[in-house]
Amino acid sequence: MSLPVSMSRPEVAARAQPLPGPLHAIVAIALNTFREAIRDRVLYLLVVFALIVIGVSHALSMLTVGDEEKIIKDVGLGAISLFGVMVAGFVGVSLVFKEIEKRTVYTLLANPVRRWQFIVGKYSGLLAVLAVNLVLMSVALFVVLLLRGVSPWGLIPAIALIYVELTVVTAFALFFSSLTNPILAALWTFCAYFAGHLSWSLELLRERVDGAAARWLCDAVYFLLPKFDQLNIKREVVHGLELADGHVMLATINGLSYAAVVLVLSCLVFQRKDFV
Amino acid sequence: MSRLAVAAILLVACTVQILSGERLERLLGDRDDTERLLYLPNGKYLRALSMGQSALLADAIYLWAIQYYADYGREDRYLLVEHIFGDVIAGLDPQYVDAYWIGALILTTEARDLDAGLRLLDQGMAANPDKWILPYLAGWECHSFGRYEQAAEYFDRAAAVPDAPAVVLRLRAGMTAEAGDLEEAYRLWLEVLEDPRSDPASIAVAERRVRDLRVRIELAQLQSIVDAFRNRYGRAPRSIEELVGNGYLAEVPLDPSGEPYAIEDGRPISSMRLLGGK
Repeated sequence: MSLPVSMSRPEVAARAQPLPGPLHAIVAIALNTFREAIRDRVLYLLVVFALIVIGVSHALSMLTVGDEEKIIKDVGLGAISLFGVMVAGFVGVSLVFKEIEKRTVYTLLANPVRRWQFIVGKYSGLLAVLAVNLVLMSVALFVVLLLRGVSPWGLIPAIALIYVELTVVTAFALFFSSLTNPILAALWTFCAYFAGHLSWSLELLRERVDGAAARWLCDAVYFLLPKFDQLNIKREVVHGLELADGHVMLATINGLSYAAVVLVLSCLVFQRKDFV
Repeated sequence: MSRLAVAAILLVACTVQILSGERLERLLGDRDDTERLLYLPNGKYLRALSMGQSALLADAIYLWAIQYYADYGREDRYLLVEHIFGDVIAGLDPQYVDAYWIGALILTTEARDLDAGLRLLDQGMAANPDKWILPYLAGWECHSFGRYEQAAEYFDRAAAVPDAPAVVLRLRAGMTAEAGDLEEAYRLWLEVLEDPRSDPASIAVAERRVRDLRVRIELAQLQSIVDAFRNRYGRAPRSIEELVGNGYLAEVPLDPSGEPYAIEDGRPISSMRLLGGK
């Protein structure tokens, strides 16, 4: 009997044994997702391209008049953020769909694995991939800065919040990929990303619209959307501006709790999904 | 498809691409791209569209603006400088100090429009009150245009920033002296001497300036006494002792080196060599 294409031998071994607890199933799926994503050529392409961009920022900085380090830091943080979102979006939307398309999901769910464990495992695996990517890109940026004698450590809070943003984007990618095909899921994920970055404008809109119903609608949409602008402190760390006390911690808690809500919704959608 | 056919298609496609590219370059080469500048929206709006990458977008426009304004062949290169550096780039990243000073430098040094340059620097100061460099640069720009009083005001603002270096304190005092307010300049140089930020070089300069200003102030006071003597007796005093003898002075005044002031050709003089030749 031949193995399903996306299944590796360790995964088969993990599935063949009875799982003692929900955590073991999640870890097994997460590990497999991690390996699968690491093998993905698209991922390599994106990471290599991001590393090139960070490297090129050094050359770009020579075109400026004034603070060259600012350009390097901006380009580096921008690359980490943008390529991170691309990986989260493109890899995230294909995770569930690939399992369904290759029909490996049937084999998987025939084992003592609950559907929510499958989703949480996939999510955790992709987060691990994103963490490795983020560390790789950050190290590249730090090396570029250290070679110029500039301390890069002040950038860490911004990178940490970029990761929190990626956890939300990944949750959206999984949610939409549980609902529809990868193309539409990618489209919806990036729409959620854009909406999250524009959520602050609803506050402005609220002040300009007439009528309680319209204002209530603005409030409701604002409440529902992720607040990515609150997770964006790139400018502040580059300029060395003082952050409000507890900003990073609160933003982290807020972002992670938002991701948790979207993840639970993804599990609920996947729970009701009919594969027949 | 045979290899020959593939090679032929590639050859034709490459040739068409290169030829059309060259023609396109020629066509667009003379195009006036001022319109692109004109329609670049305010940074506040671009910031909304930048999806959290406003600083990166500010860098991109800044780099492009430097290349644009560095082209000395442009007839209209001073057009929209305030808009690009003040509204667009600073709108995207209000802490981008380089944008303010480069924009101001283009306006003051090249376009010779000091007021526009100062507007840009003032905007930068409002957004970055902790940056001494912006009022410092504004001070220098005013100095180069001979506006010493305004320069002193800017250096005063720069000196008020906590981490301003000692040179700012010196410039503030020096510019006040240039503006002609010797008493105030004397007071400011004394402040430099007492300021804990002052380095040994600044202290050495300040000591010379304090001595110099004291002599200049005392010479000016003696000159007014000489003038009063002249008004009363219809002639200049022959010596400093004559002023003491006629009750204009209690005793012969001494300069900071301990030497007495003297009267020469009806003018008070000091044995000290004054800075700036005065």
